[in-house]
Amino acid sequence: MKARRDVYQAIADPTRRAIISMIASQPYNVNAIAEKFDISRQAISLQLKILTDCGLVKIKQQGRERLCEAQLDKLSEVSAFVDQYRQHWESKLDALETYLEKLKKERHGK
Amino acid sequence: MESNSTTKDRELIISRTLNAPVELVWEVWTKPEHIANWWGPNGFTNTITKMDVTPGGEFHLVMHGPDGTDYINESVFKEVIPLKKIVYAHVSSPSFTATINFEAQGEQTLITWHMLFESAEEFIHVVKTYGADKGLRQNVEKLEVYLTSAKAKNKA
Repeated sequence: MKARRDVYQAIADPTRRAIISMIASQPYNVNAIAEKFDISRQAISLQLKILTDCGLVKIKQQGRERLCEAQLDKLSEVSAFVDQYRQHWESKLDALETYLEKLKKERHGK
Repeated sequence: MESNSTTKDRELIISRTLNAPVELVWEVWTKPEHIANWWGPNGFTNTITKMDVTPGGEFHLVMHGPDGTDYINESVFKEVIPLKKIVYAHVSSPSFTATINFEAQGEQTLITWHMLFESAEEFIHVVKTYGADKGLRQNVEKLEVYLTSAKAKNKA
């Protein structure tokens, strides 16, 4: 079965999240990233492959270097979903607010 | 309330100033007959089978969705400070700990609701699943709007 490649899968792994935050401010080449992490070069390549497949990282060939650049606009997809989920809880407070008003009126009316 | 840089990627905090004194807000939060009237998304009804608001006490609530689906919510109260604070652990999936702070402000109450998920993975999963359900919910909302206008027409 082919794994689904989307932005959620990209950020579901701590190493991948660390890679994204490393390259968020400026692009790094693959070797520099590999040096930063205490895992094999191969493992880093695999993580970078997943990140590229998910559209969160773009790898550019620059001379002999492979430069990794973060594609952060993809992440806004996640924050949009977080906002929706926040709305779900906000609506609980809306309902609580409405109910309190109703209750106050009922008791006041007594 | 635990909130720092290490929890940032797995928490949600919402707050609201409610136009009611803290005693009333507390009552509405801690009595099952009240909770049933406001808990859960629009269009849902609730059945509370167990609610023991003491540390270690259980809180079992079933939300009945508009499409007939039941959602079981089992929680355990961890901390209860009357008129001030409630902490409960949501035991059924998704696992999270909710901390609700009540702050009396005269005739008003500031309520702060903090949800801390076990891991960023769990949080992402919940958010994603919720997003996936959105289409369905929008349909339900559309149906509701439709029914309301149909009712209005029938009355006219």
